[in-house]
Amino acid sequence: MAHVPVVPIGNPRESVVDKAEFDRELAGHDPLVRKLEARREEVKAGWGEKYVERVHEKDKLTTRERLERLKDEGTDLFEVGTFVNYGADFNGLRSPAAGVVTAFAKVEGRWCVVIANDNTVASGAWWPNTPEKIERAQEMARRLRLPTLYLVDCSGLYLPEQSKSFAGAKGAGHIFKMNSLLSAEGVPQIAGVFGDCIAGGGYMPIISDRVYMTEQAYMVIAGAALIKGAKSQHITSLDIGGPEVHVHQSGCADERVPDDITLIECLRREVARLPSSGASFYRGGVAPMAPRFSPKELPGLLPVDHRQAYEANEVLARLCDQSLFWEVLPSVGREMICGIGRVGGLYAGFVLNRQGLIDDPEAEGDARPGGILYRQGIAKISAFSRACDSDGIPLIWLQDISGFDIGAEAERHGLLAYGSNLIYTNSTNQTPMFTVLLRKASGAGYYAMAGLPYDPVVQLSTTVSRLSVMEGRTLAIASYNSKLDDNFEIVTTDPKERAQIEKRMAEVEARIEADMDPYVAAEQLDTDEIIRVDELRDWLEVLVEMSYQGVGYRRVKNPRIWTMHDLDVLVNGGRA
Amino acid sequence: MLGCPPVKRFRRLFIANRGEVAARIARTCDALGVTPVFGVSEADREAPYLRGREFVVLGPSRSGESYLAMERIVQAAVQTRCSVVHPGWGFLAENPLFASLCEAHGVTFIGPPPSVMQQLGRKTPAKTAMAAAGLKLIPGSDGVLRDADQASEVAAAIGFPVLLKAESGGGGRGMRVVREAGGVKKAYESAQAESLAAFGDGRLYLEKLIEGGRHIEIQLLADKYGNVVHLGERDCSVQRKHQKLIEESPALVLSEEERQQTLAAAVRATESIGYVGAGTMEFLLDSGDELRFMEMNARLQVEHPVTEMRTGIDLVEAQIRVASGEPLWFTQSDVTLRGHAIECRINAEDPSNGFAPSPGVIEHWSVATADSNVRVDTHVESGYEVPPHYDSLVCKVIAWGEDRDAACDRLSEALQTMRCDGISTTIPMHVSVLASKEFRDNRYDTRAVPGWEV
Repeated sequence: MAHVPVVPIGNPRESVVDKAEFDRELAGHDPLVRKLEARREEVKAGWGEKYVERVHEKDKLTTRERLERLKDEGTDLFEVGTFVNYGADFNGLRSPAAGVVTAFAKVEGRWCVVIANDNTVASGAWWPNTPEKIERAQEMARRLRLPTLYLVDCSGLYLPEQSKSFAGAKGAGHIFKMNSLLSAEGVPQIAGVFGDCIAGGGYMPIISDRVYMTEQAYMVIAGAALIKGAKSQHITSLDIGGPEVHVHQSGCADERVPDDITLIECLRREVARLPSSGASFYRGGVAPMAPRFSPKELPGLLPVDHRQAYEANEVLARLCDQSLFWEVLPSVGREMICGIGRVGGLYAGFVLNRQGLIDDPEAEGDARPGGILYRQGIAKISAFSRACDSDGIPLIWLQDISGFDIGAEAERHGLLAYGSNLIYTNSTNQTPMFTVLLRKASGAGYYAMAGLPYDPVVQLSTTVSRLSVMEGRTLAIASYNSKLDDNFEIVTTDPKERAQIEKRMAEVEARIEADMDPYVAAEQLDTDEIIRVDELRDWLEVLVEMSYQGVGYRRVKNPRIWTMHDLDVLVNGGRA
Repeated sequence: MLGCPPVKRFRRLFIANRGEVAARIARTCDALGVTPVFGVSEADREAPYLRGREFVVLGPSRSGESYLAMERIVQAAVQTRCSVVHPGWGFLAENPLFASLCEAHGVTFIGPPPSVMQQLGRKTPAKTAMAAAGLKLIPGSDGVLRDADQASEVAAAIGFPVLLKAESGGGGRGMRVVREAGGVKKAYESAQAESLAAFGDGRLYLEKLIEGGRHIEIQLLADKYGNVVHLGERDCSVQRKHQKLIEESPALVLSEEERQQTLAAAVRATESIGYVGAGTMEFLLDSGDELRFMEMNARLQVEHPVTEMRTGIDLVEAQIRVASGEPLWFTQSDVTLRGHAIECRINAEDPSNGFAPSPGVIEHWSVATADSNVRVDTHVESGYEVPPHYDSLVCKVIAWGEDRDAACDRLSEALQTMRCDGISTTIPMHVSVLASKEFRDNRYDTRAVPGWEV
């Protein structure tokens, strides 16, 4: 039988948790949500009102104003890398969003990657990490073949920090390599130059397929300041590399337009000429439908305290269309849930960790903790991942994992090998993968479930993510192992020594605890974005829709002939 | 009642319903050469319409474990190799989750696409779509209300009396009438609390209360290729507690202009939302004689025989053929609406005792069937025991006549010659209504039953 046998999952909130507990958990998320919103606002403000005014005085729009006009009405921007360089201090200066906005925007019904220099931050200059952030967005575009729009308004490298952004393998120069790779793979790139485009920045529009310039825009290898004689002859950068030169004389740009607003209209018109989205074809006549239970309930069902369990199925029920889901291989590897549901009418694969206690298949009647990978679970998700790749089903990894099982049995079972197999599979998958660090994402578990090192197209952290090689307590135990007994209790009876060990262990724990803050990862591009738990469904709709937009570049098998069905037959004997 | 040659597309059809509608669907299946398979609860195991038929017992009498048990029904349909399911009316007929579940498991669902069904099930999205197609709405809030203050604003703008209604509501719950400005806040809070408790959703919207209106509805039919026709309108204004008792077609209270205008707009609206199958659009005729859209029901309705008697088109046949991917075999100009048809719904209730339910054994059942202008749709026979678990509909008696009076006379005679001994029925009430001056003069509204003191 080649149907996708989804069934209703999940229960109304009232049956899952009572109002008091629900409100309590919601309240637990509240300070983290407020912190996120405050920081988002802070980053969006760039260098502040004064710089916004400076932009307006020149009859130009700010970068964020341009983005508002660029995207389709009634749609939202889905920004990545908001917190790159957050908190970083460059000799007293800040670099909010690393001076560039990278986001998914729907333009003329097509999802695009937009890379827009923030002209309220050092005139759109490139800081340390700016190139990496731009390249990350370009890579997302490359993987999903999304039209890429550059809103260029960039004064070049932020020179005082050039040693960290110029020369490296992923430094500014690599942006142009990415430009080239995008073009080589047939990904449309359209550039709008709204102002400065200096030095290497110039190559970005030139490699793009279409280039527009406003009357205030110029592209130069070096600005007038470095040209001998320019001063006395009153020659400006605009004279050297404005639209007069590049549209007419050099041919480096295609069209000149009077102003920002017109340019944005032109960009939209270009996108409208591109092939429309394949998503509605792949929906197969099934319309997008919301989950039956509101995704806004998720924060109330996901305790902030990572040691507290919850029903993983209830999370899934609030992410899939109509809360319909086909759990694949439910009888084995119960510590993992994997299966297929529709998101916005399009099929996606899900892998998530079951929390709380689960039955131990090796010892009947015994239970063991979920949120950990054991042999069957590893094998199951490995096979599932391979099947999704074979079938071209976008794969969503929802991480809430402490790690692999450890100890004699784990080693004897060869978890190292099964885990390696899983990693090999994820490393060589072609189907789009998306990773969400729902709560804890620890050690090898983070690796096993397609964490960032395995190149998911996008990795999202939530406000309650905890990402590190191990939990603080675990590291403290490891570090002070010689002072502890079998049960990890401090051995010494000397109160002074005990106090000192406790203090030192607490310090180790606190340090790792601080490391786990999602903003630490976000700042250094170790995660793509931090989102609220109640935004997850919106994000997944976008990610999945983008996976089916481009046609002809990746495998998309029709459900009738999915490898997935074979797994079901082999384990369950198939359905009647 | 057949159109073109019998369709052999679906071999086997699963009937996920009971009683009169189950028998009704089976009758058309027989005519089309489709084998019906019945899903029944324990309480209906001995039903007469199952005699010599294939059936699957879904579960105990409690609807939640049988007629509403989605996964069991889909499982039963798959097991019995049915390729299509007819949900009838009520139960799961307008449940988008059930529709999706059927389709996911390879069983075609007779009805509109789940997303369209869901849109129609939510008051505000449905109204938005209808307004865009040119239908008049009942004046009210533009969508869900923000709070009681906004309710007061809207009410002041459209004028009292107003009705606060639950966005996810039905059956009259979460509804409050407000007759003056001072009562808005209290009514809002009360309606919200009731709605939250009953439907888990406390959102409300507001409408002008139209009192003394008439309930007019339009029958629509659409195939999967965008072809939509109307099959005329019905007047269902004889009601008790929002339950229809008598329905007829045409609605003579309408001006020809209002009729034609609304029929055309209804067809446009049905096409614009991508509707497929048989559906009914319900309107309220206000004191200004204007039809105002209330809601669209994405299912076959109980009173469909009234339309069938005037058009000669079998609506269940149309549903099955549309579901099998056939385009409509007739256009609007092929549809002729002849004469007048009236239906009486006969319930197992005692009309002189507050309509108290009267379950029990029908000791003797007989109805005159010689007159081809009288149709009786039923599932009962002598010896049938009316179960207490479900609705109390015993049968429908429909009569056709060249004009309204002729139809009334014929219907009245048929009712008076019927025998349904052993239980109480509402037949005496219907006879009285049909004979009353108010009914014959067509001067009444939904507030009272003409010719009968409720």
